[in-house]
Amino acid sequence: MADVRDIMELEHPSQEVTRESIIGSDKQKKRPPPPTKTQKRPEGMHREVFALLYNDSKDVSPLFPSDTGHGYKQTKIKLGMRKPRKWKWMQFTNPARTDGTIFYHWRRPSDEPKEYPFAKFNKKVDVVTYTDAEYQQHLRVDGWSKEETDHMIELAQRFDLRFILMADRYDTEKFPKRSVEDIKDRYYKICGVMSKLKGEKKIYTYDVDHEKRRKEQLKKLYDRTQEQIEEEQFLMLELKKIEARKKERERKTQDLQKLISQADNQTETPKKADKKIPKKKLANPSRPSRVDTTHIFQVVETAGIKFPDYKNSGVSLRSQRMKLPANVGQKKSKGIEQLLQEMGLELNPIPTEEICQHFNELRSDMVLLMEIKSALSTCEYELQSLRHQYEAVNPGRTLTIPPQLLSNLELDNKVGGGEIIDVVGSPSTPTS
Amino acid sequence: MSGMLYGGDEIGALVFDPGHHSLRVGYAQEDTPKAEIPAVVGVAPDDTPKIEPEVKAEDGNVSSTAPAWKYYIDTTFLHTPRPSMELHSYMKDGMIENWDLFEKMVDYSYDKIIQSESQYHPILFSECPWNLRQKREKLTEIMFEKYKVPAFFLVKNAALAAFANGRATALVIDSGATHTSAVPVLDGYVITNAVVKSPLGGDYLILKAREMLEHIGIDLTPAALIASKEVVRDKDKPKYTKKKLPFQPTNSWMAYMIKRTVQDFQQSVIQVSESPFDERIAAGFPTVQHEFPTGYRQDFGPERFKLAEVLFDHAMLGAGHIAATSAGMCDVDIRPALYSSVVLTGGNSLVQGFSDRLSRDLSSRTPGSLRLKMIAANGTVERRFGAWVGGSILASIGTFQQMWMSMQEYQEAGKAQIDRKCP
Ligand SMILES: Nc1ncnc2c1ncn2[C@@H]1O[C@H](COP(=O)(O)OP(=O)(O)O)[C@@H](O)[C@H]1O
Ligand SMILES: [Mg+2]
Repeated sequence: MADVRDIMELEHPSQEVTRESIIGSDKQKKRPPPPTKTQKRPEGMHREVFALLYNDSKDVSPLFPSDTGHGYKQTKIKLGMRKPRKWKWMQFTNPARTDGTIFYHWRRPSDEPKEYPFAKFNKKVDVVTYTDAEYQQHLRVDGWSKEETDHMIELAQRFDLRFILMADRYDTEKFPKRSVEDIKDRYYKICGVMSKLKGEKKIYTYDVDHEKRRKEQLKKLYDRTQEQIEEEQFLMLELKKIEARKKERERKTQDLQKLISQADNQTETPKKADKKIPKKKLANPSRPSRVDTTHIFQVVETAGIKFPDYKNSGVSLRSQRMKLPANVGQKKSKGIEQLLQEMGLELNPIPTEEICQHFNELRSDMVLLMEIKSALSTCEYELQSLRHQYEAVNPGRTLTIPPQLLSNLELDNKVGGGEIIDVVGSPSTPTS
Repeated sequence: MSGMLYGGDEIGALVFDPGHHSLRVGYAQEDTPKAEIPAVVGVAPDDTPKIEPEVKAEDGNVSSTAPAWKYYIDTTFLHTPRPSMELHSYMKDGMIENWDLFEKMVDYSYDKIIQSESQYHPILFSECPWNLRQKREKLTEIMFEKYKVPAFFLVKNAALAAFANGRATALVIDSGATHTSAVPVLDGYVITNAVVKSPLGGDYLILKAREMLEHIGIDLTPAALIASKEVVRDKDKPKYTKKKLPFQPTNSWMAYMIKRTVQDFQQSVIQVSESPFDERIAAGFPTVQHEFPTGYRQDFGPERFKLAEVLFDHAMLGAGHIAATSAGMCDVDIRPALYSSVVLTGGNSLVQGFSDRLSRDLSSRTPGSLRLKMIAANGTVERRFGAWVGGSILASIGTFQQMWMSMQEYQEAGKAQIDRKCP
């Protein structure tokens, strides 16, 4: 019964039929639980909104405005408390005008009458001026009368030195037609003379011919036909391709150079390379997978295998040191396996200190060998393809490649199982 | 001074934008003109002694021997047939030609639209970019002498249209009633030597449409002459009765009314095809039905597109061509700025598909290295009243208030200074 009442949210009967209720308790009658502190509806909050927060009387809502004083709603403007300030159709003069004309606009008479606020935007460009005497003495040139010069200066003032408009509105009935450059030339020459007279040090000059040439070229650029634009784009693309090819070739020779010096180093001081590199990786030796991201650079940097240094990573099995790092690709590890088999060596020898070191060095050398071989075959391939190209371009001629440039790769190709190990970064791995 | 928010300062100025189609009149700082008055005046001999309210009494300067004339202005009065009422246009080639009739229009505007006296309001007029010096001076003189305006200003309508679209530098393509023009505007000034215009505008389109409709035998009797009509099925002969008039309407009135009838057709049926007209492509579009005042109804198919093609399919006068020509005549240094804000305005640009086709046409003529941007207001009001809206903005800007040519300046230096004050 009580459950149903709970569900229906009905009030419990004030008195349940219990022993106490019948017999009467000596204890004081249990006081009804103190009414939960009813939350006051914040001022200004709509009843409906408030009801959403308090759908039952028991739970305190999870959201409750702490600031109940003012409510979240702005209190209404208290109208009629103050006299509205008046607007009036009032006259004003604009100091930017020279004639003192009176205009009218709406204004608050209570506002202090001040200068017309837009007058301060009345900015004028400084246009050069000269007196008659100055003109006669310094500014006379062939081809420009004083009248025309005056007209030009007047236009400059009217259009604030917008030379294009000055040329457009030029009085061509009285004076010859002038181009924008002609007008600019004349104007700036006058400026130059006048500032020299005033003793200014820095005199600017205007290079008409350069401007004319520049505009001529710009015009040509805009007047290109669609075909011309397409042709240019095509040529640009070709150029890019050629440059890319050139770079590629340079990179390849560099790689090769590195491989060669690596091979030399390896034979002389086999440990040097090993020692230098791990330093960089110390920071994160336990996570060889990280090495993956730097993989490309490393292989180019130093061929062979770089085994991570386990010295600082606490206790570990020595056999771990012989594990190939993750950056050694499938092909390489396969190649290593094959070579080891051919040499009749175990794939997982007993990892004594010595064996570990030698085994790792051996495998590193193997990888280097494979890389050098593949680089060699790439070079051969390129040599051959260049020969073909040469013969195609010069029909009837043959390019004999000096024998010292040709390897005897075919002879011991079987060592590498005929497999080409990709030199990382080489985009066109020949498949022969 | 909260009234000056955003740099505006309204001084009770008026804006007048005269065109071939209509005269737009209103207060500066408002969104739209108060009235658009058709740009024709009906003139009939005044033989009735009683004075009708719509008639403006002649000034005393008419000699008694001259016959008295009555002038009819605005749609309601024009659309009523009257004995021997001839309709006259006071515009020619974009400029005001008949000053007497134009003054009637201005009188009417002050009287019926503005309902205030001219001496209280500075007035800004728009003008076509090729307006003549002598006409500008004449207008200045009339406004100061006859209307006693406190201040006056003249701006080229293309510059105003550019302002209305938020640009000071633009290539404005204005397609109005009598012509379509391409006008380069640089920093608010028109480059007058690079203006290119063609006579292909709304009127030409209406003329072509009328020829086509008459050719297929459609009765174009205007609504003003029809007393009643019956509903008929598509393409059936219309059944209607004409109003009984004791007189024959004048030819000019008939021509004007038929023009209005065809204009309805033009606005609802004609469309510019997206690419050069192709009968087969046009046939693929849905037909549009139009009902004429007589009650006659018909579906229109490919002819919708064929008619509008005259606006673009012309070697020299097509809208795209004049735009490119105009830009090509400007200094190379400003061409990029012009192409990057091509403003489209004028009532005729509202013909369906106009802006798409222009944009397509123009982009094929835009130099490869330049960016083309077309700015065309979406609303019909903004497009039709582009110049007026620009004038409304300009005349209510605080910094503009120093530009007016004032009565005092006029009295001191005369009308000739208009050329310098309003370049
Ligand atoms: N919605 C519309 N659709 C098509 N044409 C329209 C539309 N509104 C107006 N027009 C046309 O625009 C022309 C008027 O343009 P407008 O710019 O007002 O000319 P003007 O400046 O010469 O008075 C008229 O020929 C009219 O037929
Ligand atoms: Mg217009």
